[in-house]
Amino acid sequence: MRELFNDILSLDDVDGIMLFSFEGELIFKEFLTPLPEEPESRDWWRVFIYSLNGAREVDLIFEKSRLYVRKTDLGYLMILMGVFAPIAMMRLNCDLLVASLKQIKTTKGLKRLFRMKT
Amino acid sequence: MIRKVMIVDDDQEMLVSLKEGLERYSEIFRVVMAEDGLIAVDKLKKNAISLVVSDLKMPRMDGFTLLAHIMEHYPDIPVIIITGYSTPEMERLAREGGAIGYIGKPFMIQDLARKIMTTLRKESEGGTLHGVSSAMFLQLIEMEQKTCTIRLVDKLSGKQGVLFFSEGELLDARASGLQGEAGAYEIFSWDEVSLSIQNACPQKEKKIQAELQAILLDAARLKDEAGCEEGPEPVTKNSEKTVKVSEAEESQKSNVIANIRARLEKEIGERRGLEAIYHDNSWDGFIAQATRVGTFFNAGKLKLGYIDRGESNDFILVPAKQTTVISVNPKCPRDRIIKVISGHMGSSQ
Repeated sequence: MRELFNDILSLDDVDGIMLFSFEGELIFKEFLTPLPEEPESRDWWRVFIYSLNGAREVDLIFEKSRLYVRKTDLGYLMILMGVFAPIAMMRLNCDLLVASLKQIKTTKGLKRLFRMKT
Repeated sequence: MIRKVMIVDDDQEMLVSLKEGLERYSEIFRVVMAEDGLIAVDKLKKNAISLVVSDLKMPRMDGFTLLAHIMEHYPDIPVIIITGYSTPEMERLAREGGAIGYIGKPFMIQDLARKIMTTLRKESEGGTLHGVSSAMFLQLIEMEQKTCTIRLVDKLSGKQGVLFFSEGELLDARASGLQGEAGAYEIFSWDEVSLSIQNACPQKEKKIQAELQAILLDAARLKDEAGCEEGPEPVTKNSEKTVKVSEAEESQKSNVIANIRARLEKEIGERRGLEAIYHDNSWDGFIAQATRVGTFFNAGKLKLGYIDRGESNDFILVPAKQTTVISVNPKCPRDRIIKVISGHMGSSQ
């Protein structure tokens, strides 16, 4: 549900969020601006997930954007943001989110909770 | 020691399926993937691979050519062939070419895993040791005139190397893309290592002419002179010796590392939490994937990556022709360091 990610999406310069399962399946996405192409159109996300090699946290800084990746109990959360996003606040929000996703995993079924935005 | 097993296949689905299927053995070995023989050759230079599993029919360089390359340059690395076009003739050619195993597709992943594990066990059939000084141990090998292959891992950097002994005589060495004496100097600069002993030496040619004792003494001297903070110094002992790293490359590498270190010292000072800075292209696979993601989002060039694997150190990767790895204490001032290095990259471009 989008509500889970509201705090993160409301941070300055955040462009969007994706949640991938550990097998590379896109469980949820929400972007504040339209993407030139939908992530589902590419089949290499699984390979990217594998290349993370179980990392707890990955922060990729590009010339024009930043991709923050966080391992959760449900899979890998990826947050796309601009270079001015408040990264410390982002990490703090992710700490809180990881804890609540952990609760969700133990109390609710995954499919009931997430619906893909189309 | 977690080994590295390279799987070479142009079928991406097969690669990912094998990596998935072999994940359960990740405490014994990690899978390195290569999409064809040429990529495999490159990764062999940059990674300490313990075993290769290769398909036969691949573009650019097929499995037979790769097998021949491995037999010539890495005779200690066993090769298992997997192929969907299995014939008795092909199996005969593969085994005559030096393959230690041949499996026709489709196969059970457990069968492949069993073969891999049996083969890897031979690496340490003579025993393993942890936290030892390589110099002391190697002198013992010389005294006892042992014939063996010794695989070492540097406790500090995680770098891996191989030494080949025949009746106590050091024939060859390989580490960090260096071979011969250069490889030996690299290995002997490591203070504390884990090592495993295989009671065989597939290397027949003596590529190192100097005596073991002389190399050990000289490596110790070079280490003392260099202070050893960034890792081993380039080999400059004797200009007539065969040193495979060019002076220009070494100079450039030292400059990049020195510049980053100086910048961090200046901007952040003592509490920067810096553990080590070194070049390590074993991250290139991950960097390639991250670059692809950046391209998808039109994010521009990848400037750096911060990786927390839940280990004692975190890593900052600075992509380049030679990837620079900055190993930091997880409690380091991460955002300040990232800002300094990103700024450094901007000014150096």
